[in-house]
Amino acid sequence: MEILEKLGIDWKLLLAQAVNFIVLFFVLRRYAYKPMLDFLEKRSERIEQGIKDAEAAKGKLSEMEVKEKEVLSAARNEARDIVAAAEESAKRRDAERFAETESRVKSALEDAERKIAEEKRRIMDEAKSEIASLVSLSVEKVLQEKINATADKKIIIEQ
Amino acid sequence: MEISIAAEKLFSIGNFPVTNTFMIGVIVSVFIMIATSKLRKLETIPRGFQNAVETIFEALFNLVESVTQNKEQARRFFPLIATIFIFVLLSNWIELLPGLGTVGILHGEAGHVTIIPFLRSTSADINFTLALSLITVISVQVAGIAALGFAKYGKKFIVSPFHKPYVIGTFVGILELVSEIGKTISFTFRLFGNVFAGEVLLTVMLHLVPLFLPLPFLFLEVFVGLIQAIVFSMLALVFLKTATLPVEH
Repeated sequence: MEILEKLGIDWKLLLAQAVNFIVLFFVLRRYAYKPMLDFLEKRSERIEQGIKDAEAAKGKLSEMEVKEKEVLSAARNEARDIVAAAEESAKRRDAERFAETESRVKSALEDAERKIAEEKRRIMDEAKSEIASLVSLSVEKVLQEKINATADKKIIIEQ
Repeated sequence: MEISIAAEKLFSIGNFPVTNTFMIGVIVSVFIMIATSKLRKLETIPRGFQNAVETIFEALFNLVESVTQNKEQARRFFPLIATIFIFVLLSNWIELLPGLGTVGILHGEAGHVTIIPFLRSTSADINFTLALSLITVISVQVAGIAALGFAKYGKKFIVSPFHKPYVIGTFVGILELVSEIGKTISFTFRLFGNVFAGEVLLTVMLHLVPLFLPLPFLFLEVFVGLIQAIVFSMLALVFLKTATLPVEH
């Protein structure tokens, strides 16, 4: 035990130093390590989450780009189809309208021709009847007047 | 100049002798606690003191994690390792402050007066290093029992001579038991020896040539103090880890 004394080992001091260290240990564990480690862990989790989010966003973005391209090409195709259909229908309608106009013109023409013919006939009829009456009138006149013999003769011959 | 292996008594409180090393230990502890109180409000974007503490904590924690290979275990061991590291480091570096071996109270009779310095590294006191070693070794046993259970942990030391390696196993067990005591002693004297020797060296150099000559030794002691703190805490960590590993034979 002499060696312990020579080295300065004193159980009171030993205990005091141990108590000092243990107190420091518990105080630090309670007020420094635990909050600090929790804090660091939380922050590293947050950073990890942030990186993960960013990666997910990137993935989604490229996905969106692909989808966007798909949608765009689909839309373009559809537009082309629509335009083609519209063109076709317009052509068809044009043709229809042309045919319709043609037929209408034809019918109008026929109508007019018919009308003209009718008119012609009517005029002819009218003229005929007028001429007849005129002839009969003139004949009457001629007959009523005293025709000289020569004139009579002439008419008779002529007839 | 008088060099004493034992820490010098400054005064007594009742029956309790207050030595310079104990006083320094208390002052360092209080200093660390005051510094801790600055960490009350932690900010997401660290600045200044918090940044420095974070860097040290992260490096230390990664080291502990790399040794334990287990995050939960790292969290359990970290407080002890970190406290040992911080406290031993600061108490080692105390000897670098001016006043080592020169500022103190006069002691002795006329004709033979010596200085009892106020400043003496806590690690240059066997009482402290022994206390710390005992705390560490006891923690190692507790960690081993907590991880493996009392019976399984006990099998590391007490091995039946009637099984496979027969008597050899028993002897190995006894050796393991002795090595636990050896750990305590080597812990104690490694730290004490290094720091005490450093203090003596610095004091002697200071008394030989007060100017410039102590400078290289001061730089040397910065390293020694850091290395001893690392060695103590890392050995403690490795012992803690090995204690939790199951028996191989």
